[in-house]
Amino acid sequence: MADMQDVESRVKQVTSDILGVPVDQISSESRFVQDLNAESIQSIELVAGFEAEFDIEMDEDEALEVKNVGDAITFIAKYVDE
Amino acid sequence: MKLIVFEDQTYENLFPLTYLRPIFELRCGATTLLEKIVHAAGADSAACFVRDWMAESYAEKTDSPVNDLDQLEGDVLLVNGGLLADGAVDLSGLGEDRAVTAGDALVAARVSADTLAEARDGASGENAAETFEAILAALCEKLSADEAEPTMIDAPWLLIRHNVAMLEKDFERLYAGRAGVHGDLHETSCVVGDPDRLYVAESASVGPMVSIDVTDGPIVLEDGVKVLPHTRIEGPTYVGPDCQLHGGKIREGCSFGPACRVGGEVECTIMQGRSNKYHDGFLGHSYLGEWVNLGAMTTNSDLKNDYTGVSVYFKDELVDTGERFLGSFIGDHTKTSIGTLLNTGTIIGVMSNLVFNGALMPKEIPSFCWMINDRPTRGLGFKNMLFTARAAMKRRGLDFSPADERLLAHVRDMVKPKLREAIRKAFKR
Repeated sequence: MADMQDVESRVKQVTSDILGVPVDQISSESRFVQDLNAESIQSIELVAGFEAEFDIEMDEDEALEVKNVGDAITFIAKYVDE
Repeated sequence: MKLIVFEDQTYENLFPLTYLRPIFELRCGATTLLEKIVHAAGADSAACFVRDWMAESYAEKTDSPVNDLDQLEGDVLLVNGGLLADGAVDLSGLGEDRAVTAGDALVAARVSADTLAEARDGASGENAAETFEAILAALCEKLSADEAEPTMIDAPWLLIRHNVAMLEKDFERLYAGRAGVHGDLHETSCVVGDPDRLYVAESASVGPMVSIDVTDGPIVLEDGVKVLPHTRIEGPTYVGPDCQLHGGKIREGCSFGPACRVGGEVECTIMQGRSNKYHDGFLGHSYLGEWVNLGAMTTNSDLKNDYTGVSVYFKDELVDTGERFLGSFIGDHTKTSIGTLLNTGTIIGVMSNLVFNGALMPKEIPSFCWMINDRPTRGLGFKNMLFTARAAMKRRGLDFSPADERLLAHVRDMVKPKLREAIRKAFKR
């Protein structure tokens, strides 16, 4: 089982690095586009950043459908478990 | 005597240009390596042997038999598809059961029916390509060989190095006897130099105020070529069927395969075909695969400011090519955004998408990669890349076949570790 706290903190850190938003302003409820101002092209960077961070390869279509940080944590944890 | 043209492992040296085509389909001068070999051998056509994963897709694109072992009967002339048939090896004058080698490479061999039958005995593999390889190995042991120094295309920059000479040779062979303006040349356009060094096909048209300068080399404008006003073309240059020149400076040493759209400033560059460099921006000493699209103001460097040799990534190592002028090698279906800046000696894979962010792109960009903010990503993924490529092809009335899609998927799987590693390196905190 993935350590969900570890996944959460790393997801937030990657999100912060790529979107330039301080970590303490990112919550599980934060929506990438509406709340964190991610541009469409940054969604692609986020996927790459998460894949590099967790050494996983996600389904691109499904990954790009993830809308908020909490869902990203759950989605990534699934791959980490694999 | 039957002509058999084959690929050896050298095709790997020519990646990304050979991911989606056999090595002998690469262009140098007005024609491909294969067309030159066929001519030099005095043949009308050739049967071909290619790597197994290429065979299905390539067979759909050629009238030649591909990986058909039944072709290996009777007397045959075997020629390595990486040979630049520039006359250094006398293919039609090879003695029976004689071979020509260059280092470890078999360049050509004339094989009698009996010797071929012996070599076939017991040679087997898991597929036709492997069986052919086994036959070739058996032949190499049987035949007497002479060492020669042919021009083998075993690195991508050699296509650029030899392009000017091949343009001259191909013109003499194919066009000199029918030189002249057979199509429309607007009265305000001019030909500078000897008009016998120009061939304008019957259905080609040259608009107003175009300068066609054959002083330093011949120029060919093939059927269906449209040259728009204010274009300047310098020889030697070959413009293939249905190309459009959009008012640019087409400087010496250019070869454009069919249906390219070219503008801006282009020098010593080969475009395989169906690629667009429509807008302003400089492209020099480069090779573009098919279906490449360069956004407006995409520019490459082809000369270092200290005039030293240009280095390129060659089989994962940065090597000095010794070439003073060398630009970019861009794989099929790759696109650049507006303003993209490419460094000297840049290699870009197939189906990639370069999004400019103000800095020079790295010198090596993997296939199936979107470069965003100087970092590689997988973009919107393979399915989306196929969708985009298909849309581009449909604009020209073409489409992928299932075999093409399988070929692309094979290449994608092959290069996946490299892209993944590049992403990991770029994003790892």
